[in-house]
Amino acid sequence: MVKIKNPRDLESLRVKIQRERKKIHSTIIMCGGTGCQASQSLAVIDAVKNQIARQGLQKNVHVRATGCHGFCEQGPIMVIEPENLFYCHVSAKDAQEIVSKTLLKGEIIERLLYVDPVTGKKIRTEAEIPFYKNQDRQLLACSKLVDPKSIDDYIAIGGYEALAQTLMGITPEEVIEEVRASGLRGRGGGGFPTGRKWFECWEAPGDEKYVICNADEGDPGAYMDRCLLEANPHLVIEGMMIGAWAVGARQGYIYVRHEYPLAVRHARYAIHQMREYGLLGDNILGSSFSFDIEVARGGGAFVCGESTALMASIEGKVGEPRPKDIHTVKEGLWDKPTVLNNVETWANVPSIMLKGSKWFASKGTKGSKGTKIFALTGQVRNTGLVEVAMGTTLNEIVFTIGGGSKTGKAVKAAQTGGPSGGCLPVSKFDLPVDFDALTKAGSMMGSGGMVVMDEGTCMVDVAKYFLTFLQDESCGKCVPCRLGVDRMLEIVTDITEGNGRPEHVGLLEELAETVREGSLCALGKTAPNPVLSTLHYFFDEYVAHIEKKRCPAGVCKSLISYTIDPEKCEGCGICIRACPHNAVKGEKKKTHIINLLECRKCGICIAECKFDAIMAG
Amino acid sequence: MLQYVTLTIDGSRVRAAKGTSVLDAAIEYGICIPHLCHVPSLSDIGACRLCIVEHVRNGSSNVTTSCTLRVQEGMVIRTNTEKIVKLRRNIAELLVAEAPNSRAVQDIAVRCGVKEVRYPFRNNNCIQCGRCVRYCNQYWRANVLGFIGRGKDRHVDYPLGTRPDFCKNCGACTLYCPMSVTPCEGPMKRGEEHLCGKCESQLSMSASLPGACVRCDLGKGFQCARHA
Repeated sequence: MVKIKNPRDLESLRVKIQRERKKIHSTIIMCGGTGCQASQSLAVIDAVKNQIARQGLQKNVHVRATGCHGFCEQGPIMVIEPENLFYCHVSAKDAQEIVSKTLLKGEIIERLLYVDPVTGKKIRTEAEIPFYKNQDRQLLACSKLVDPKSIDDYIAIGGYEALAQTLMGITPEEVIEEVRASGLRGRGGGGFPTGRKWFECWEAPGDEKYVICNADEGDPGAYMDRCLLEANPHLVIEGMMIGAWAVGARQGYIYVRHEYPLAVRHARYAIHQMREYGLLGDNILGSSFSFDIEVARGGGAFVCGESTALMASIEGKVGEPRPKDIHTVKEGLWDKPTVLNNVETWANVPSIMLKGSKWFASKGTKGSKGTKIFALTGQVRNTGLVEVAMGTTLNEIVFTIGGGSKTGKAVKAAQTGGPSGGCLPVSKFDLPVDFDALTKAGSMMGSGGMVVMDEGTCMVDVAKYFLTFLQDESCGKCVPCRLGVDRMLEIVTDITEGNGRPEHVGLLEELAETVREGSLCALGKTAPNPVLSTLHYFFDEYVAHIEKKRCPAGVCKSLISYTIDPEKCEGCGICIRACPHNAVKGEKKKTHIINLLECRKCGICIAECKFDAIMAG
Repeated sequence: MLQYVTLTIDGSRVRAAKGTSVLDAAIEYGICIPHLCHVPSLSDIGACRLCIVEHVRNGSSNVTTSCTLRVQEGMVIRTNTEKIVKLRRNIAELLVAEAPNSRAVQDIAVRCGVKEVRYPFRNNNCIQCGRCVRYCNQYWRANVLGFIGRGKDRHVDYPLGTRPDFCKNCGACTLYCPMSVTPCEGPMKRGEEHLCGKCESQLSMSASLPGACVRCDLGKGFQCARHA
């Protein structure tokens, strides 16, 4: 393996790789991210490679297994370049047809094309799909261009150029100033200005400093960091190296949870490749900068995403937060100045250095610059990873990109910011997505989870769900978080079971304040958000539960009963056969009746009924 | 040589050695900040959150635990604002609902102004103040006790669940446990727990003179820094 000793070597390597790539006629880009792997994309890749070998096309066709493209719902996804053809739900059986028809004859296989759920039309190319068209993909766009296991791919698209430029003549002060001017804010949830964090760490006395990449993503339904690290580990590492140069660190850590095996593997492999090229180690690219990275695996505790708990975990201690009266930029990992940034924050750094802070600051709003990746999930037609410029409205994300409600029921709310974020009602969907606007509305940006809920969702039940998660994931060290969240859950559970009392609302609000103000770390301080935001925007639902003992959405089992509408029931008998508890009785062609004593409210009959005759309420 | 700093706690100017905590400085001057997990000579973890104070800085105030906050020159601390009293009362209420069978916790709850408990009592006993764990690990360096699990399952236990041979049988874990101070009338039965409140008269001084150390009996039996 050749060592890259200086920027000139890097440049000549890049030219060499690009020259070799010119011989390739077409590229089959196959998503090998975790989502598509689950729908057997690896088998498709093998089958396609097999077919190509059989047809003798190895020299002209390149098969690239990349990380996540974002449109996980349509997986496995295949994109054929240069035509930009987009095939979805590809299976291994289609491989032969794809190679013989599309590659050799240029024919399009109609049945593999994407059908727009809104218009019902088939769309041929990736660029035309509304899901992609309406995004501003700066970080995610690279995922398609590189194989995460190939450093050459990354170098070919201009990788490590930002690092080379930085090391060759940009002082740490200038780097920090550039990042500060770009207005980049931490993507992990706090939204702390990255430039200021770096400056404080740079300022802190001491020779030994650390940079850490926080990939301990644990929000339910969020997987931006996972996909970014899986798809393009070199981008994150390059960002970390620039940050390390700026603050004067010689050692970096990527803290990634053990439940992300692919991310761990790709990060480790990327580090291995970099060491072979000499891009990690002493005197990188002939400069005075020496740096190395290790991957630290986390045990999957949500609280270890908190900076001090994460550092305790890397040190080998119990992952519990400590009071942050002294910031981690002064005393962090092993009591040394430490910069901890989220995966997405690091990934933004190389392009800021290459394209300049002005370019970055041109996107976004006054307080929040650049683009942000969201994991759009829940009851929307198009689920997946969405990257938009800051300041895009929720309406645009949910309806234009997400395609609106999947179930046919109207969209009711969106939950942003993960478990400690809040639920925003549809009336607030004209809010721009921006750190300050969301916080003001009672939610938060968080790391970028976005769960869309429709009218069939009970907001009290949602609050209960998130409280259960938080109570489970609280480290249990401080009283307000451990006992306060537990008591809040107790009260909310009471409300959903019909034991709510009017004074419960006041008690919930008081408890929420105690937990928010009194807790030790950010997990506790934001834990009441799900309750507070639902209390604020969906107060009538709480009232219905407490006073009328009724669940408007028909979700809380203790408060609903199932009835059959005699007008709609055709007496087909499907529900009788489907009911596992034998609660439905009736004769053929006559209206059926549900025996409420036997009914367990499992909802199977509702799902089975073809005439929508069974109602919960 | 010791360096000293001057700070303001509840309007009074206080001189304290650099590196001490705000809680220690306050207690030294007879300003009582209720506390539970703090034990003199052991490290502070800020777990019970009873010793919260308002740290006024640049016009805005920040709620933090005084046991983990180090004194700094010119610091302004408020220990008895309306907000703090309310938060502290709510936290004490959570604690006493969890462990009504501890006189120490009962007394602290009354001292913090808890009049009634709005949650069902749980009689769980351990409130995870970590006094035993820290005494065992830091004073004796025996490492016999530790926290296991997280969230609701977190509890104090021996390694692997059995008492190891290296336990020195010093008994400090029992001595330092708030549960070792049982209510005057003995432990309450499950389902019959209540807020005792009989010592309220003894502590009434605290209502008229908020923040003044009343040299409560509690402190004597409970290693308050004032009595240490």
